[in-house]
Amino acid sequence: MLVAIVLALTIGSIAVGLWLLRLDGPGARPVTALAARWLDRRRGGISAAHALLLIPVAGLAMQLLGPGNWFGWQAVDGLDAAVIDLAVAAAAVVLIFRSRVWAATLAAAGLLVLGVYGWLIAMFWPGVPGFAYGFSDLHNSPLPAPLWSDALQGSLLLAVGLWLAPRVMRYHLANPSDPELAARARQLTQRVQMLTQTRRDVVDTAAAELRRIERDLHDGAQARLVALGMSLQAAERLFPVSPEAALALVAEAKESSSLALTELRDLVRGIYPPVLADRGLADAIRALALDAPLPVELDIDLPATADQASRAGLGGQASRAATGGQGRPAATGGQGSGASTVELPVASAVYFSVAEALTNVTKHAGARSVRIQLSHASGVLRAQVTDDGCGGADPAQGTGLAGVERRLAAFDGILAVNSPPGGPTIVVIEVPCALSSPKTSTC
Amino acid sequence: MRIVIAEDLYLLREGLVRLLSAHGFEIAAAVASAPELLEALVEQRPDVGIVDVRLPPTHTDDGLRAALRARAQVPGLPVLVLSQYVEQLYARELLADQAGGVGYLLKDRVFNDEAFTAAIRTVAAGGTVLDPEVVGKLMTRRSRAEPVARLTPREREVLALMAEGRSNVAIAQRLFITEKAVSKHAAGIFAKLDLAPSDDDNRRVLAVLAYLDS
Repeated sequence: MLVAIVLALTIGSIAVGLWLLRLDGPGARPVTALAARWLDRRRGGISAAHALLLIPVAGLAMQLLGPGNWFGWQAVDGLDAAVIDLAVAAAAVVLIFRSRVWAATLAAAGLLVLGVYGWLIAMFWPGVPGFAYGFSDLHNSPLPAPLWSDALQGSLLLAVGLWLAPRVMRYHLANPSDPELAARARQLTQRVQMLTQTRRDVVDTAAAELRRIERDLHDGAQARLVALGMSLQAAERLFPVSPEAALALVAEAKESSSLALTELRDLVRGIYPPVLADRGLADAIRALALDAPLPVELDIDLPATADQASRAGLGGQASRAATGGQGRPAATGGQGSGASTVELPVASAVYFSVAEALTNVTKHAGARSVRIQLSHASGVLRAQVTDDGCGGADPAQGTGLAGVERRLAAFDGILAVNSPPGGPTIVVIEVPCALSSPKTSTC
Repeated sequence: MRIVIAEDLYLLREGLVRLLSAHGFEIAAAVASAPELLEALVEQRPDVGIVDVRLPPTHTDDGLRAALRARAQVPGLPVLVLSQYVEQLYARELLADQAGGVGYLLKDRVFNDEAFTAAIRTVAAGGTVLDPEVVGKLMTRRSRAEPVARLTPREREVLALMAEGRSNVAIAQRLFITEKAVSKHAAGIFAKLDLAPSDDDNRRVLAVLAYLDS
């Protein structure tokens, strides 16, 4: 019998040893590194010390399960008990090495159960099954005195268990171990990184825009208005002396005001195209196509919008709310009113993207004609600009398309350019967005 | 000549009223929103309605829509649309009913009161006056529609000036050619655009429309 036990223990030890070696695998990390990792105690984490609490728990479990009398079942004192002890010890060791978190969790549970068990023994012996407990051997000395020792041990175990359990709970709540949850956590992390990046881009772009607008106003309209004021001032002074010279200055002032207006107009177009503000994306693209210096074929397939109603002579009845698509509920299902529109920020981004693509075609492609397609399907707004030019467009060169890409990224939109040498060039813009029903007002 | 003015900014509205009164126009109504405009146009039947594109209540293109609705109810009702910006898209919508009596100008054209009042009279007479900025864009773009592409450069120049609402006399002066030569070019334009001989004003409107659509 003893030989068998020793044999089993040896085999078990070797098995556990092999298992541990496997853990490190090929190119095993140095023991020091392993130790460092093991002892690493992150904030709110589970440390090696916590996991090691499984050892006393396993020890007590071995004592209890071995010779205990469990509702009729009793291990033969000897081989059976040894095998059970070995299994429990191996499981504990493996668990401590494999996952200190689960080791600590099991330790906490075991400490609480064993603590309660100790008190049950102290109060109800011999009505409670089980045999040995800690240092008191009830089997051999069924005296009432050791029962107090059991209660003491139970209290100790309970105290440690109550100390450990909240830590374990906190860890599990903070680190859901469900694989699906873990995957979701990874996705969310990536999303946060992307949002951080695009937010930075958006803020940079907006700041650059504001700087440009400030400069344009300062050097343009503001300067013109100063010149205008000076002309008028001089005219006022000259008027009694030389009315003709004064008139010439007034004409000059008029010229200044016209130039100021022209510059303001161009500036406004760059900020927010008036047709886009008035009519929405579809008509803004139509206006863009009309202003292009080369023939543009349009293929716009958006659900009926308010501007189309006006084109049919129903204008005024279905005019669009003045500003802002933000916060409006997205259209669900069919377009009940027959009127729906792309949210303004998205519309603006897509408009400027298409405008940039069209400018590139005009400037670089040497194309004879362009085709612009605009559609919305499955929650994605898609614009495609196809030309019959020379191709070879590279979004990596020049800042135009890169800027478009950044601008679209803020809406999770993408830009794809397919431009083999010799053409044709196809620029695709896709932005996920819902169409919203505009508030209607009567004119 | 009776005028209805629609402009929501008080200063500009009063400025227009003062300017046009000084030139002997009668101001039938001066309103500040699209519903008022529609009512004034349909009830007052002015010789010309001068309309700002952007008006309350939505501050988008309500003025333009009201003008289009008024013309749908009263065909050919002359309207001169003023705006801080001009768009070919809107010019086409204004001209689409082929009835003439349409003007579309930048607001700052008002600074030149002679040209502005001339434009009002042209529109009142059923002519078409497009802002030089709209016409300029037509000139720079490559013609796509076949009939307009057949025009000679000189004919295109004449057509552009026609679109701006200039008379043959004015076109002749501008291009340093005789009035007779302008008439000849005009006849050539009408022929190439397949516009049957009819009322000259109407053919001019149709020619401009063809030019816009090219």
